[in-house]
Amino acid sequence: MTPPRPGRFVIGTLGLDQHEVGAMAISQILVRHGYEVIYLGRFNTPHRLAAVAEQEDADVIGVSVHSWEFTAYADELVRRCRDLGIGLVFGGSVLTDADQADLLARGADAAFGAYRAEADMLRQIDAVVQRVRAGTMAPAAPDPGPAPLAGRVVVVTGAARGLGRAYTLELCRQGAAVVANDIDEAALKETVDATRGTAGSACPAVHDVTDPATPRALLDTALRRYGQVHGLVANAGVLRSGPVLRLADDDLRLLLDVHVTAPFRLLRTFGAYWRAEAKAGRAVPAAAVLTTSAAGLYGFRAEAAYSASKAAVAMLTRVAADELGRYGTTVNAIAPAARTRLTDWLPAGPGGGDDPWAPEHVAPIVAALLGPDAREINGRVVEVGNQQLSVPGTWRPGPPHALPPGLSATDAGALLSRAFREAGDPLPVLGT
Amino acid sequence: MTARRFYTPKDGGTDYDRIADPGTYPFTRGRLRPPDGWIQRELSGEGSPRRSNEQLRMLLAHGAHGVDVIGDNPTMSVMDPDHPMSVPAVGTTGVSLCRKQDFLELLDGIPLDRITLSHSLPAAFALAGQYLAGRESGLQPAVLRGSAIQPPLYAEDCSYSTFLPFRLRMRLALDSIAFSLREMPRFHAFLEDTYYISDGGLDVVEEMSLGLLEIREVSRRLIARGLPVDAFAPRIAILVNCRMDLFEEIAKIRATRRLYARMMREEFGAVDPRSWSVNIAVHTSGLSLTAAQPANNIVRGAVQALAMAMAGVQGLEISTFDEPFRTPSAVAHQLAIRTQQIIQAETGVGAVEDPLGGSWYLESLTDDLERRIDEAVRRMEALGDVDTLVENGYFRGIFTNAMDRHSTSVQDGRLRIVGVNEHVVPPESDRLLRDVAEERFPPDLAHVERIRSWRPTRADGPLQENLADVRRAAADPEADLMAPLLAALDADATFGEIAGCLREGQGLPADPFEYAGAHR
Repeated sequence: MTPPRPGRFVIGTLGLDQHEVGAMAISQILVRHGYEVIYLGRFNTPHRLAAVAEQEDADVIGVSVHSWEFTAYADELVRRCRDLGIGLVFGGSVLTDADQADLLARGADAAFGAYRAEADMLRQIDAVVQRVRAGTMAPAAPDPGPAPLAGRVVVVTGAARGLGRAYTLELCRQGAAVVANDIDEAALKETVDATRGTAGSACPAVHDVTDPATPRALLDTALRRYGQVHGLVANAGVLRSGPVLRLADDDLRLLLDVHVTAPFRLLRTFGAYWRAEAKAGRAVPAAAVLTTSAAGLYGFRAEAAYSASKAAVAMLTRVAADELGRYGTTVNAIAPAARTRLTDWLPAGPGGGDDPWAPEHVAPIVAALLGPDAREINGRVVEVGNQQLSVPGTWRPGPPHALPPGLSATDAGALLSRAFREAGDPLPVLGT
Repeated sequence: MTARRFYTPKDGGTDYDRIADPGTYPFTRGRLRPPDGWIQRELSGEGSPRRSNEQLRMLLAHGAHGVDVIGDNPTMSVMDPDHPMSVPAVGTTGVSLCRKQDFLELLDGIPLDRITLSHSLPAAFALAGQYLAGRESGLQPAVLRGSAIQPPLYAEDCSYSTFLPFRLRMRLALDSIAFSLREMPRFHAFLEDTYYISDGGLDVVEEMSLGLLEIREVSRRLIARGLPVDAFAPRIAILVNCRMDLFEEIAKIRATRRLYARMMREEFGAVDPRSWSVNIAVHTSGLSLTAAQPANNIVRGAVQALAMAMAGVQGLEISTFDEPFRTPSAVAHQLAIRTQQIIQAETGVGAVEDPLGGSWYLESLTDDLERRIDEAVRRMEALGDVDTLVENGYFRGIFTNAMDRHSTSVQDGRLRIVGVNEHVVPPESDRLLRDVAEERFPPDLAHVERIRSWRPTRADGPLQENLADVRRAAADPEADLMAPLLAALDADATFGEIAGCLREGQGLPADPFEYAGAHR
């Protein structure tokens, strides 16, 4: 007879996971090795498992997963186990290496896949029990708050730094799965690593947005990894400054490629996918957020090409919204004001959360535009940053003036003067 | 089972009266099949009914003769997709079905008069749905073919719980079988599915003895209702498992045919020869497939399918190579259908019935299994009435022990599995087909929203009246459940609402989880 080990388990499956083969098998193994098992069978909620564990003074909750989607309950279980100061172990033949890593990153104390060797499992389980008994389990993590974007899949371009990084982190905090794209592999990895422990997840996708194959590659990554895609944030941007008289062709081409051609192609690829889904009766509540700029709305001194490219985005937003709105996709643009590599001329701030120019302040607005409460907003631009948000007006016709045929040179001049007098003065370009 | 190194005429195969020609009593060698052999089909269903409809069309376009539709976990539990407990699992491992419209969308454009539709779904509900979908497309119910799994004894204990008490489950089974016999006479209203009860690790003797026990129990109850045995026996079919011990699996089928024929003729007094020969279809074992080296599963599926073609089954479904990870991907579906087509078209194994008949080994194994299965049935029936066995957890004990036995025998290497306990390769070199196998289908939240927003659009008056009828029928042990269930589904009641009324009629809470209180 094996001498009893100090360890009491509550074991069961979660949600509507119908099969308990794994739960039964692991229970038998544990009992054979002298553990105590309180077997709860199928159809448990995290609440029930935790309540029984508390009542029975258990050391560990063991969850068998027969169908991967039930790992959706992991975060709630982790919270409850942390609150109780007990261990949490997942097992199941469907858990791939990536799933096991994911569960550990989310706070599980151990995770086992198909046919893990008994000795190895028991060694790890013993270690968990010992930590519980020694009172050295990690303290309860703060409640991360609601996850309004849980189940949504969003592609973010330019995700490695600045605004894109802030968007990625916020979207993950709100539960979304993010396909994070950038050309800078090392910085992107750092961003993706920073999403660990959030309610969502991110996977890196290193591509150059100016490559015509990139939109398809990003869509494929999202579909292969997550099965669906609900959002697109075309954020990648560059700055090439220079007055009209001095800007070189290469800089002009790059600005237009990154700011206009790339989001256009992304919309074409993702829009076609969403339209096909809608036509097949699987309409996705899809949302695209493009990136314009105050420069694109009002102009910026000595940034003619940059301003023109961003103005193009504002109009692309309007027309694409009209076209894709028919299939349930919204297209909006954000004009962010934030401290990034593109705006190093902004006055130095206190940094962190106190900095009014921190990109983190813009991110919740982008997340909201992708969320269920913004479905009515379509074809609009929103300016965000420096402690305020506003919705700029769009081009509208001015008061009409009659245009008689065969206008003389004098009359034409007079008509123009009258029309511009009535129209009033435009805003000066920014930076003046 | 330990086999000897070789067998001789002394071991079996010499008493031809016990074996007999194919198509004759006791049907050891099965029926004479039509020239195209067996019905080739694959288990399907994923996401919303519309998405699954495309899957069905794809399979039929690839040459499948029939379809087998499985519900997602909530559907199997007759719970609606917008129940909080359902949401994470909507459409992930099967199709989400909960209302009449779902069946219309699922079966839209599917030629129900030309193909067979097998339901791996809650039988009474799916029969009602198929009936309504057939009516919608102007078909006479009499032309509908297919089968419905009736698992009143075991469902709650091994998988696919419906949270209904045994008495109700049995009534639903009997009423839906009677309905189908009356309205859909070409349909196999009573499919005894020994696959799903056995794929936790049961051996062949446990599998077939439990299957026959349930057939006997349901048959007795149908006869007690006044149905002549010859009215329903031809509409019974068995869906068996096929593991990797191929001769044992073939012998199991032959032994089952003989036991079934004798049971129907000698015990139940059937006189119609169609009542004596049971229709046997097979689903190859998912448990025999491995998450390690998933491409190996293609080989396993192929040899199992070959064995089953030689066993003379009436229908065949291969568990696809990605089964350890997910419900079948499109690639896996196509490979499985192609496997069947290669076996059927290229090998010629279907040209001769029971080609292995007369093998001393196979005949000896058939005799041996026949005896052991029969003994196991008698032993269980001697324990008392099945209601008590169900309530005392007797069957649950069998399933639990089998699961433990299986996992122990894999751990200690007695059950040899390539890639698992021998010929293991490190994860970094285990890449072939892994990406396809590990692709996942997330919960179909759009469908959840669709159902949520549809609910308030229904006409409430007729809906409530029909649900009250279900509740009343459930409370009356003599009442027929099928008619009010069908009427309620027709009036846009959902599975969850109907099941809730069935429970309320029995004095139970409508929601088996009462989730709102339990959550957070």
